[in-house]
Amino acid sequence: MYFLNVTPTHDPQLLKGVLSLLLLQMLAQRESYGYELVQRLHEIGLSDISDGTVYPALGRLERESRVSARLVSSHSGPARKYYRPTAAGYAALAEGVTGWLAFVEVTNPVLLHPIPTQPGPPNEEVFDD
Amino acid sequence: MTETLILTWKDRMRIERAVWTLDSYLRNLPRKSRIAKRRELRVNLRAASADVGVNEALRRLGNIRTMAAEYLVTEYGGPGPSWIVTTYFLFAAFYFMIWFENARIDAFKAGAIAANPHLTGTFHFTGVAYVFTNDVFIFTNGKVSEVGGTLLPLVYLCIFALAVLVGRLWRAIPAVRQRSLGAING
Repeated sequence: MYFLNVTPTHDPQLLKGVLSLLLLQMLAQRESYGYELVQRLHEIGLSDISDGTVYPALGRLERESRVSARLVSSHSGPARKYYRPTAAGYAALAEGVTGWLAFVEVTNPVLLHPIPTQPGPPNEEVFDD
Repeated sequence: MTETLILTWKDRMRIERAVWTLDSYLRNLPRKSRIAKRRELRVNLRAASADVGVNEALRRLGNIRTMAAEYLVTEYGGPGPSWIVTTYFLFAAFYFMIWFENARIDAFKAGAIAANPHLTGTFHFTGVAYVFTNDVFIFTNGKVSEVGGTLLPLVYLCIFALAVLVGRLWRAIPAVRQRSLGAING
């Protein structure tokens, strides 16, 4: 039997699918600019996510009108672009979280089983040639 | 975030290099959008550099070409139209057609003069069907002038149609862009 005791690395495709939801949720908690969001993602343990993945994802959310942006002057340099969810963003977040939880509910019971070293025999009787 | 920015001119140059590299990949985006992305990346990179240093900030940015591709997918639902490729294609296509027609004309002239260096008279040289009009050569004691041999409208039409295809110019049409984005976002 194998157990899930390996150091977690995050599948980029899996992350990409859920990144929009994470960003929307974080922005719903607190308005942030691009790099600040990257830091917050790192703080929750997604340290292998690259900055270059987060910035276009924010651009996509803005283009889809799920977040709005405003420039806020910074004491340490040029104005920063702060994002916050729009009404459509909140709706998408609620829908996305519901969908994600339903997905996890279905997949977890299967995935949390210990991994067998080899598959069991088929249900049907097998005849060798 | 209250980091203090102490960036040397070398650090700034490295940040600018990354910013303008991204810009070069985004040349197909509208100017306003490109400027906004440049500014945002610059601000983010400066903040990241103040936090973890320029080397780490640039490393964490990942592949800039991939990042640019993501931006283009966001904007156009794909690689987007390329005006530069279209322009290169148009220049190359017309250059080739003009070179080809000149080669035909020169070959005819050279053949006629080789046969008779003091040739005098008017000669018709059939053009290429659907491509070039007929040529008329007027020889006067070995000197030659010619009329015709121009591209037919169908050729212009084909070249422009190919230029649109090669440069994916249909992606610049807002309705097509929206449809592509809709397909991507489901």
